[in-house]
Amino acid sequence: MHLTIQNLSKQYRRDFWGLREFDLEVKPGVIGLLGPNGAGKSTLMRMLATITQPSAGTIQWNGVDVVKAPDALRSTLGYLPQDFGVYPNLSALEFLEYIAAIKGLDAKSARRRIEELLVLVNLVNAAKRPLGGYSGGMKQRVGIAQALLNDPQLLIVDEPTVGLDPEERVRFRNLLSDLSGERIIFLSTHIVSDVEATATEIVIINKGHKIQHAAPEKLLQTLEGKVWQWVVPSEVLPVLKQKHIVSGVVRRQDGIQVRAVSEAAPASDAQSVAPSLEDVYLHLVSQQNGAAS
Amino acid sequence: MTLRILFHMARADFFERTRRYSFLVMLGLVVWLGYLSATGALAMSVPPNFVGEVNSPWVGALMTVTVTMFLGWFGFYLVKGSVARDYETGVGQIIATTPLSRPLYALGKWLSNFAVLSVMVLILMFAGIAMNLFFGSAPLDLWALTAPLLFLALPCMAVIAALAVLFETIGWLRGGFGNVVYFFLFFMGLIPGLEAESYQPMLDPTGFRLIGDHIAQAAKLAYPESEGGFAFQIVTAATEVKYFLYNGFAWTVDIILPRFAFVLIGIGLAVLAALFFDRFNTTKVLRGKKRLNPDPVQASASEAAPLPSLQLTPLSAARRFRFGALYLAELKMLLKGRRWWWYLASLGLVIAQLTVPSATTPFLLAVAWLWMILLLSALGSREALHNTGEIVFSAPRPTLNQLPAAWLAAFTVTALMGSGAFLRYLLDGDFLRLLAWTSGALFIPSLALALGVLTSSRKPFEVIYVTWMYLILNAVPPLDFVGVTSESPWQFYTLSAFALLVLAAFVRHWRLRGGKLAR
Repeated sequence: MHLTIQNLSKQYRRDFWGLREFDLEVKPGVIGLLGPNGAGKSTLMRMLATITQPSAGTIQWNGVDVVKAPDALRSTLGYLPQDFGVYPNLSALEFLEYIAAIKGLDAKSARRRIEELLVLVNLVNAAKRPLGGYSGGMKQRVGIAQALLNDPQLLIVDEPTVGLDPEERVRFRNLLSDLSGERIIFLSTHIVSDVEATATEIVIINKGHKIQHAAPEKLLQTLEGKVWQWVVPSEVLPVLKQKHIVSGVVRRQDGIQVRAVSEAAPASDAQSVAPSLEDVYLHLVSQQNGAAS
Repeated sequence: MTLRILFHMARADFFERTRRYSFLVMLGLVVWLGYLSATGALAMSVPPNFVGEVNSPWVGALMTVTVTMFLGWFGFYLVKGSVARDYETGVGQIIATTPLSRPLYALGKWLSNFAVLSVMVLILMFAGIAMNLFFGSAPLDLWALTAPLLFLALPCMAVIAALAVLFETIGWLRGGFGNVVYFFLFFMGLIPGLEAESYQPMLDPTGFRLIGDHIAQAAKLAYPESEGGFAFQIVTAATEVKYFLYNGFAWTVDIILPRFAFVLIGIGLAVLAALFFDRFNTTKVLRGKKRLNPDPVQASASEAAPLPSLQLTPLSAARRFRFGALYLAELKMLLKGRRWWWYLASLGLVIAQLTVPSATTPFLLAVAWLWMILLLSALGSREALHNTGEIVFSAPRPTLNQLPAAWLAAFTVTALMGSGAFLRYLLDGDFLRLLAWTSGALFIPSLALALGVLTSSRKPFEVIYVTWMYLILNAVPPLDFVGVTSESPWQFYTLSAFALLVLAAFVRHWRLRGGKLAR
C-alpha cells in the first residue's frame, strides 16, 4: 500500500496557486499535515479525496493514477471534510446506513460496522435522534464515523478535532493511533499537539509549497540546542519578538519567561531546553516567510 | 444614526446579492423579458386586434405591465432568501448580538429587496427606451415613458419586496411551502381588482387594471367598434392589427396618492415582519419541532459516559455495489421528515383518485402530484443544500450509482402518489390517459433532478413546477403531462424525461470531474 504524489499543483486564479509542485511519497502510518491558514492543506486533502481535480501532477494509489481513475481509490477511501453537513431529518443511524449504501457495504457488514462505530464515537444513546438536534461536537463524531465506515485504507481527516471537547479530542487521537497500523492516514490540522500525539511522519506546508517532510524525531533533531528559555522584564518582550522566533511566553512574578529559537544563546541567563514540534513548526514557517519577503 | 444603519445594512446585502452568479441569471431573465417586449413577442392589445402606436406612453405602459406581471410574480422568488442566508451562514448570530432592532433589520432587508427589484425595473426601462428609439413612431419622451414605471411599477415592487421579508420571517412560510403559497396569493390577488365593477385603486397593486382601462378607453375613442377589455400576452403568430394613438396618463393626485399608499403598505408589511422575526433565536423553532430538535446541550451531556475499549471488525476487501440498498436509502431520505398529516393527506388523495367520477380523476392526479412538490424539490440539490457533497461524492461512481437511485426513488414516490389514478385508468381501459400518466411519472422526477443538479437550489423547481401544474389544471394541452386534456403530448414528455435524466447525469459528472462541487 503506497501513495505517491508527483508535481501536484492547483491553480485557482491566474496569479494564485493553492498548491504548487508538491511531491510526496508515503507508506502506512499517520501523516500529520501542518501549516498556517491558507497554506494549501485543505486543497491537498480535497485533491487526495478525489473531490478537486489538480491543475497539474499525479496522485498514484498503489500504482494507479487516481486523477484519471478516481474510483480506484474511492472504494477504499474514508474522508472527513473540514466543513461538512448532515441531513437534519435523518438519525445518525439512518445517515450512516445511507453512506454505507453509497460506499457499497453489504447490509450485514454495514449493520455490524455502524453498531461498532456508534460505540466508538460514543453516540449509541443519541443514534436514533434526528441529526438536526445534534451539537457541533456530536455532528463531528458522526462525520468521523462515516469516514471509517468502509474500513478505509486511505483515511483523510481535515481538522477532525474541531468542536470536540478535550476528552473527545484525546479519544480521537488515540483512535487514530490505533487505526494507523495497516493504513495511510492523513491528518490535517494546525493544532500541533494533535499531530505530536499521533503522527509518524510530518509534512509542513506553507504558501502552497512543501517545506519539510520527516519523522517527528528527525524534525526535533534539527533544533537540538537551539531552543532557549529565560526570564525577561515584560517591556523587553516586543524587542525580543523582533529579534527571535518566540514560541512561548509565560507570565511570572519576576517577569516573563520566554521560549525562543536562536542559533546562539540569546542571553547570558538563557538555558537550552528540549525542542518541541511547535518550535520546529514556527521556526520553519517563519524561516520560509522571511525568505519569501 | 438609524438611517446610517439602514443604509449600510441594505448596502451590504445588496452587494452580497449582486455579486452572486444567480444575480447574473436574474439579469439575463430580465433582459430577455425586455427583448420580448421590445420585439413585440410580448404585447398588449385591446381585443380583438387594436394596439397602440409605438410611442413613449405606450412603451412605458407596456414595460410597466411587464414589470408588475413578471417581476411581481417571479421577482418575489428572486429576492426571497436574504434572511434565510443570514440563518444559514451564521451571520444572523452576529447580527443578533448587536443593538440592531428587529424593525430596523426587517426594513434593511426590505430596502435591499427593493433595490434589487429596482435594478430590474431600470433594465426594463432601458429596454423600453431602446424600443422607442429603434421601433418608435414618435420621438422619445422620457417622462412619459418612465412615469408609469415610477408611479405604478415601483410601488408594486415595494409591496413585493416587503412580502418577501414577511414570508422569510414567518417560519412556516420561509421554505418551499411559502413559495407555493405566494404563487397562488399573487395570481388570486389579481382577481378582485380585475373583477371589480369599477376601478378600485387599493385592489390594484400591480396597476394592471388602471392601465388596462386606460388603454381600452383610448382604443374605444379611436375605434368605437372595439370590444373594450385588455390583453397582455405572448404573441406566437403575426396577426393584422389596427393602431390607435395612446397618450398616456395625466398624473393626477387621484392616481398618485393610492400608489404612494402601496409604498407605505410595503413599509408597513416590513415592520409587521419584524413582529414575527425571531432575531435568529432558533430555539423557538426547536421548541415547535420537539421531535426533530432535542436540546443539543442535553444530548451532549448524556453522552459523557466512559468509552469501552473497542476494536473495529475488519471488513472484507471484496465489495460489490448494491443498487437495492442505495435505492431504499434514497427512498427513506425522500419520505423522512414529513408530519403525520402529510402522509394521511397523501393517502386521501390516492383513494380519492380511485373513488371520484372518472372526469375528475386527472385533476386529482394533478393535485396529488403537486402535493409532493416539497418532497421532490430537493432532488439533485440536496447535497449542496446540506453541504454533504464532499462526503457523498467521494464514494465510488457517484454519478452512476447515486443519481439513478435518487431518480428511481422519486419515480416510485410519484407513481405511488398517482397509483389511484393508474388503477382507475386501468379499470376503465383508458389507455390514452395511462400513457399520459406514465409520461408524467417519468417526467416529474427527471425535471426535479435536472433542475436541482443544474441550479443546486430547490427554488427553480418549486417555481416552475407550481406554475406548470397551475396551467395544467387550467387545461393547457401542450403542457399537459398529466392527462387532464385529451391532447397530452405524452410522447414528447416521455422522451424529455430521458433527455433530462441524461442531462442531469452529464452535468453532475462534468462538475465532479472538474471539481466544481456546488455548495
